[in-house]
Amino acid sequence: MEQLAERAWRPHQACEDYLSEFRHCRSFRNHFHHYYTYGTAPSCQQWKEDYHNCRKWESHKLAEAKDALQKSERRRLEEQKNFTPVWKLRQAPPGDWHRPLD
Amino acid sequence: IPIMTYVSHTPPFVFHHVFSKVYKDRHFSCEDCDGTVSGGFDAATSQIVLCQNNIHQQAHMNRVVTHELIHAFDHCRAHVDWFNNFRHLACSEIRAANLSGDCSFTNEVSRFNFGLKAHHQQCVRDRAVRSILAVRKVSQEEAQKIVDEVFDSCFKDHAPFGRIPHGNKDAKFAYREYMNRDRYYANL
Repeated sequence: MEQLAERAWRPHQACEDYLSEFRHCRSFRNHFHHYYTYGTAPSCQQWKEDYHNCRKWESHKLAEAKDALQKSERRRLEEQKNFTPVWKLRQAPPGDWHRPLD
Repeated sequence: IPIMTYVSHTPPFVFHHVFSKVYKDRHFSCEDCDGTVSGGFDAATSQIVLCQNNIHQQAHMNRVVTHELIHAFDHCRAHVDWFNNFRHLACSEIRAANLSGDCSFTNEVSRFNFGLKAHHQQCVRDRAVRSILAVRKVSQEEAQKIVDEVFDSCFKDHAPFGRIPHGNKDAKFAYREYMNRDRYYANL
């Protein structure tokens, strides 16, 4: 039963989406924007690896491929949060957001 | 030109991310403004002000709406003390300059700011300082100091895009990521 659930796991996006991210990352336009923003070339290899792992999982259900993909996505998520916020996040939107104007 | 036309040209997912829903009749106001100001976000009334006398091109309008929506987004998702906390103000201005296209290569060139290597960051710093000076009575040095203090943190905060959208493709991919998010978190 557990094995069934394991094998039912799907990556959060289609494998082709990883490939399109890789291609976009490697494009001249993206290189230009990355250099203009950071002064360095972008690193795109991870998208390619994720694509291959995605395909390995979809075709052969290899556990290592799934683990590698999940690890990569978690790392990507952590990178996005890799800063100390200057403000406190809200639990709910501001109460007066829809307050009628006079 | 009716506001709805302008609004429909902005990336639609930005509206969805402001988890307080945005209604054009309530949250947008077209006004005549002083000087060369293009727009603003009024936290007291929860309104985005668009300066109809200073915006003459669609591309400019798109950029201003995106810029102000980022302020609105910050207002909705965080306790931003716009009036008393200059670090908060600076942070939102850094994010708005960073993520709205204000500092694109083309826009900078049109301002005769010719820079390439990591110039985007310099532009974001400068425009954040300018934005602070436009709304608060502080000195240039003070504004610069506050921007420098919070820059590293705020420049990295790419919410809600997950990346700096440099063009339509970036925006499209960011939207795709957003649409996949429920499946995303379930699968990690």
